[in-house]
Amino acid sequence: MTTDLEAENAALLQFLYACPAGLVEFSAAGAISMVNPAAMGLLMPIAGKPFVINLFDVMDSCAPELRNLVQHFSPPQGTVCDGHRIVTGRGERSTVLACSIVKLTQDRYVATLSDVTEQVARERRLKQAETWFASLLDGVDDVAVLSLDANGCIDAVTSSAARQTGFTDAELIGKPFEWFDRPDRASAMPLPGEAIAVAQRDGWYLHEGWHALADGGRYWCQRLVAVRDEAAGAAAGYTLVIRAVTRQGRDAADLRRMLTLDHLTGASNRAHFFETAERQLLRALRDGGSLALVVLDVDHFKRVNDEHGHAAGDVVLREVARRCEAELRPEDIFARMGGEEFVVLLPGTSLMAASAVAERLRASLAREPIDVGEIQLCITASFGCSALDTDPAASLAGLLAAADSALYSAKRAGRDRVALSNSDQAAA
Amino acid sequence: MLSFEAISLDTLLTLEADQLDTLPFGVVGLSAEGIVETYNATEAQLAGLHRDGVIGTHYFSVTAQCMNNFMVAQRFEDEAEIDAIIDYVLTLRMRPTPVRLRLMKAPRADRRFILIQR
Repeated sequence: MTTDLEAENAALLQFLYACPAGLVEFSAAGAISMVNPAAMGLLMPIAGKPFVINLFDVMDSCAPELRNLVQHFSPPQGTVCDGHRIVTGRGERSTVLACSIVKLTQDRYVATLSDVTEQVARERRLKQAETWFASLLDGVDDVAVLSLDANGCIDAVTSSAARQTGFTDAELIGKPFEWFDRPDRASAMPLPGEAIAVAQRDGWYLHEGWHALADGGRYWCQRLVAVRDEAAGAAAGYTLVIRAVTRQGRDAADLRRMLTLDHLTGASNRAHFFETAERQLLRALRDGGSLALVVLDVDHFKRVNDEHGHAAGDVVLREVARRCEAELRPEDIFARMGGEEFVVLLPGTSLMAASAVAERLRASLAREPIDVGEIQLCITASFGCSALDTDPAASLAGLLAAADSALYSAKRAGRDRVALSNSDQAAA
Repeated sequence: MLSFEAISLDTLLTLEADQLDTLPFGVVGLSAEGIVETYNATEAQLAGLHRDGVIGTHYFSVTAQCMNNFMVAQRFEDEAEIDAIIDYVLTLRMRPTPVRLRLMKAPRADRRFILIQR
């Protein structure tokens, strides 16, 4: 006969089995002691295999910062992170997870995991609208209004536009409004035509980014493209409203840094890399330019962690990121993919040019050892390159896979070297 | 032959509930819609659940979300006939537990089986 206690126990287990959110209990080293099926269901595709034993190991490929967040959290108990976003996968069907971690004792943590992919896409649009309307309430002293024709070319301007940008009417009229975009590496701009296409579909499009000034400078602004006459069926034209955002410049810059940069190394994070790379790839395919990826992986990094501790490993990763970024152009994106793996996005670059960049990065790492406290470590990395000019049909996931397999041959050939993707050889 | 590796689908279909209960490995029988029809004592013991609470529920949604993927649930959807043993980790009583799963399905029977050996 089952006792009340047994029945209650079974009911509790059933409750946990059926719980739609993932629950994981783990140690300070990431070893999983308890896990419910929903969590296992989310972790297995990331691990790529059903043997999920250590949370940090599984997440190392997409959220290496979890280990840092847990280790740097010094209070004896409390919330380590709340709704921390994790972008999984490598370009195709990226799932976004929200992860909250609570520290119970020195060696006992509980995490919740849930799939928020859909929600993130919806939020992005909502947030845009919200920012815009909130900012309108703060005063309308610095707003420029322009008129666009059905193709997005400026066909009329008000004096406010000249006041804000310094351009004369003649310099503005007839130009596509996107001509005045001045993107940099931290701000992904929409593709030409994208704003008009979305405005046509939804009635409006909102974007925040750098805009040109007549004196050669730039200013950060929010731009609303709104359909002028919806009743006429196909839009006859659009109203473009540009609002300079200086008021919360610092906060906004901090927020942007937080959302686009990797916690530990200051390199771009995965989410920012994928967002920018998708855009750049579409742009390259449309304009017929090239685009290259360089994947790099620090050689024998596990040895650094095992022999000198994770703190030394962290110093090495920060220095690798610093040296590499110093070698790159402002429009290149240097991002941390996970663990000791980084990726460089090189717009407008051929495979041969990418290999020269990779060689420069390799040399800058190998040239002198890295200071880690009292000791110096000789650090090298292996590189794999792929590019659109030799692989014109590739998707982002395809380019990444090609660069990955080149990286693998560089590792096999003895590390500390650059290898190029070669579709002919891959088939052999 | 009533071992984990050797027992046949036809044998599983003919065994009575009390005979299934004596098998040393877990037996879960599902309808074509994924509803639990058979749940033996060994499996109830391993999972810490009562048979009555599991029979009639949708297995991959309620009890075994961690098998609701391409490695297990999707195979029952995609393949007309399966008899495969795979290494897996289940969350029995929320402990990550390495197991061997045997997935069994044949066109001649509506009922599919998952055998679970610790």
